[in-house]
Amino acid sequence: MPPEISQHLGQVSAGAGIGLSVVGMGLGVGLIFASAIQSVARQPEMAKQLTTLMYIGMALVEGMALLGVVFCYLALKG
Amino acid sequence: MNSNFDLNEYIMHHVLNSHEWLLPFVSPIPLPGVLTSHALMVLFGCTIILLLFLVFYRKNERVPTGLTNCLEALIVFVRDEVAIPNLGEKDGLQFTPMLCTIFFFILTLNLMGLIPLFSTATANINVTFSLAFLIFVLLVFGTLLRNGLKGMWHALIPSTLPKWLIPFFIIIEIASILVRSVALMIRLFANMIAGHMVIMSFLGLIILFGWVAFPAIFLAVFMYCLEVFIALLQAYIFILLSAVFIGQMYHPDH
Repeated sequence: MPPEISQHLGQVSAGAGIGLSVVGMGLGVGLIFASAIQSVARQPEMAKQLTTLMYIGMALVEGMALLGVVFCYLALKG
Repeated sequence: MNSNFDLNEYIMHHVLNSHEWLLPFVSPIPLPGVLTSHALMVLFGCTIILLLFLVFYRKNERVPTGLTNCLEALIVFVRDEVAIPNLGEKDGLQFTPMLCTIFFFILTLNLMGLIPLFSTATANINVTFSLAFLIFVLLVFGTLLRNGLKGMWHALIPSTLPKWLIPFFIIIEIASILVRSVALMIRLFANMIAGHMVIMSFLGLIILFGWVAFPAIFLAVFMYCLEVFIALLQAYIFILLSAVFIGQMYHPDH
């Protein structure tokens, strides 16, 4: 494979990695928020506890996905 | 289209650490010796916190007003919503000062990154590593000091576990302590650096394409507002997860 093609392939795959991380993050955060909203609708008195749990779950999912985004960006740059 | 403008270079230049202090409208000021811009920001942040709590915080007021009221509300929030529910009455009160310190430190540095004069020190993995290392030391040596070796054993191994599973569980639990601390470090770092990268890439589009990219201003402003929320949320999440992890190690029976 000529070197310029392999370099462009690297850039394309790093960009695709950013997209895939964002897809995963969207799915995860969407599921968490959906179930949190559903639970609050069923049991409004649990809203306070559920909000805390929702933020913990969101941070856990988002952190790992953002790690993917940042590392893909660094790969794109380097 | 501006062809000799490198978007990557522009973003990295604004996000990464450097030996000069970037200021709006004037050329960057070179910093002496080992001092970098992020180290300078940590010093500024500490100065701001000290000023807030030593000078502007009026402790003797019977009814707190103004800034004192605002700071007090945050401290009571940390104590009643984070420390006591996760760590219990006694340990919660004991841990409130440390959690408050970490909370205000992260919050100040996060919010300082959104002011044009300053850069984000929490978008540097060295800063977040030292914060997470503090929690790691507490998870390991804090438990050992408080509960002794036996308490540490109880925190790692559930008492109903079959004998032959114990070696595997020790490995898994040691790995999980490491992973929790590393996840704390990575989360704060990635969140702060990613937000600033997005804002910078929107602004870079304007330099790259000129007037055509005018709507990017609104997207950048929207991201900026989201960043203010994320700055608060990440400071809260950091202390909340630290409190949850420390609570799990200190009270394994719950």
